[in-house]
Amino acid sequence: MLRLLHLVVIAGLVSAAAYVYKIKFDATVQVEKAAKVRRDIRRERDAIAMLRAEWARLDNPTRIQDLADRHLNLRPVEATQFDDFGRLPQRPPQIVPPDASDAIAALLEQVDVLDVPTGSTQQGGN
Amino acid sequence: MDAMQPPAAVTPSEPWRRRLVRSLLYGRNVDRRAKAAARVGLVILVFSLVYTVIAVRLIIFGVTSDPHGPRRINTQDRVATARPDILDRNGEILATDVIVPSLFGEPRKIIDVDEAVELLTAVMPDLDSREMRDRLSSQKGFVWLKREISPKQMREIHRLGIPSIGFLNENKRIYPNGPTVSHLIGHVNIDNQGIAGIEKWLDSRGLAALHMAGFATDRLQKPVELAVDLRVEHALRDELIAARKKFKAQAAAGLITDVNTGEVVAMVSVPDYNPNNPGEALDPTRINRLTTGVYEMGSTFKLLTIGMGLDSGKVTLASSFDARSSLRYGRFNISDYHAQRRILTVPEIFTYSSNIGTARIALAMGVEHHQWYLKKMGQLDRLRTELPESAEPLVPKRWKEINTVTIAFGHGLSVAPLQAVMGISALMNGGLLVPPTFLKRTPDEAAKLAKRVVKPETSEMMRYLMRLNAEKGTAAKANVTGYYIGGKTGTSEKVINGRYSKTKLLNSFTAVLPADKPRYLILIMLDEPQAIPGTHGYATSGWNAVPTGGKVIARIAPLLGVAPRFDLPTADKLILASARGNR
Repeated sequence: MLRLLHLVVIAGLVSAAAYVYKIKFDATVQVEKAAKVRRDIRRERDAIAMLRAEWARLDNPTRIQDLADRHLNLRPVEATQFDDFGRLPQRPPQIVPPDASDAIAALLEQVDVLDVPTGSTQQGGN
Repeated sequence: MDAMQPPAAVTPSEPWRRRLVRSLLYGRNVDRRAKAAARVGLVILVFSLVYTVIAVRLIIFGVTSDPHGPRRINTQDRVATARPDILDRNGEILATDVIVPSLFGEPRKIIDVDEAVELLTAVMPDLDSREMRDRLSSQKGFVWLKREISPKQMREIHRLGIPSIGFLNENKRIYPNGPTVSHLIGHVNIDNQGIAGIEKWLDSRGLAALHMAGFATDRLQKPVELAVDLRVEHALRDELIAARKKFKAQAAAGLITDVNTGEVVAMVSVPDYNPNNPGEALDPTRINRLTTGVYEMGSTFKLLTIGMGLDSGKVTLASSFDARSSLRYGRFNISDYHAQRRILTVPEIFTYSSNIGTARIALAMGVEHHQWYLKKMGQLDRLRTELPESAEPLVPKRWKEINTVTIAFGHGLSVAPLQAVMGISALMNGGLLVPPTFLKRTPDEAAKLAKRVVKPETSEMMRYLMRLNAEKGTAAKANVTGYYIGGKTGTSEKVINGRYSKTKLLNSFTAVLPADKPRYLILIMLDEPQAIPGTHGYATSGWNAVPTGGKVIARIAPLLGVAPRFDLPTADKLILASARGNR
């Protein structure tokens, strides 16, 4: 009986030792992996910071203005160039029904009836 | 077959081989069973003790923190500690850290000093070879050879393979926008400690203590968001530099604040400096004139005086004051620049910028009331903001009637321009004094800090006067179509050798945008502008500070999201009518 217990305990001991070793080994691997990931993260973060700094330098308004002055014909916006949506004109009435197969023919049919200004010639001109 | 045998048959008789082993091991006459039981007991006890110890240790390791955690400070890294990024109100980077290598040596371990110095100076010719030799010959364990070298130099030195020379990675503070926001954010020294502006304020908030303890080494610190808008700041600076050149002024400064929250949206004082090259900041002409300098604000101060009169109720817009002859006070003779020589109403006093009229309003209020009112408006105490640099206003030691007379039109009391802007904002925004800030602030936070100093009606009347002045007064040259601005000019003579100079002027222009629903207050200052051919020989504010202000407003209004409106009625119809309607 005692002998059986011994055998069981020894077997348990060996397997426990093997298991502990395995856990220890895995843990070391994981720690190393984590350290590597951490190092990579830091390197990436530093690189991101570097790129952001570079972007901020390239994006800085003084530089953009210099480039714009040199290469573009644009001028600063004036107040008169702004307007709000409330002052947009209404959408013009639809002359041609949307399901017409030949749009131009449909338009030509309607022109005489509705007297629609087409915009291609001046009204009242010669 | 074996299983069928009764167990009793096996037990008594021992096989002869085992008997032999037993007699060899224990001797012949020892009672093995008794001893074995005791031994097994002992072994079980010892092992269970050992395992208990192991288990307890394991629990302790599990509970206490991991020694390989991320907070471990790597000695090979980050000597100069990290600082949080500084962002503008739209998230643009104003200051950030990048990693750069620095070169160090360990003199105690070095083998051949001469060889090392020779090799190093070959790679970096700007190194002083004698100084290098002295440093490397010392008995110290560690010396810096060169801070902040380029990656290329680092590779080359690494390839030389000099023993006991190494590199440390350091955080270097960089300012990608160069001089644009210099006075605001300040700068750091080589050890990444803030020594001016917002950078210094960051350190005073406990960052310095973190540095000492060595904790502030990683990048995960929360960025600091400022109230400044980089685009507006740039537009303001660009126009000020142009104006300074055009009018040959010594200096130019501009300030844009949100009247409702007290946020400083832009602050420029040219000449400025590049924070990437902090040595420039030592030049005294490059000081920040808006917070570090104090000035007699001239006619700009009339806003405060007239506001005082209107708020007391003793003066109304219909009141009139005698400005027929100049006001004599002892040896002082107060006269008007745009002299009208008649009785002026309050709006006329404002639009003609009458010194005599304003002085009479102040006298009608009395010296004590004047003093009490200016104290309430924050003009007599040092204004503290996040910026560590601040100046105490120059208040007359004995405040007599003559002081009230001159202070009424902005002479005899020197304040920091930011301080004057705070007071004027209170007159514009409905009567609330909000301390200015350089950090982002929500309207709710501002409402908590705000202090009522004048009545809302007074504020409406003041805005009416400002708008009137832009429609037909001294600020007409800044009346940008579509933005309904209001403005007040200020021209003050500078004191040179104890006397007011007639030629050296400090011009200012204060504008509110838009005048009916105020959002921003703009202050433009020009120090000693000259008369140029385009100004018909004049050097007063209306000819230089005002047009500059107009240009600035036309550029910044779209950036600040102020929508242009056209066909608005004149000031008396829009602002005054609503003021009456509210009552």
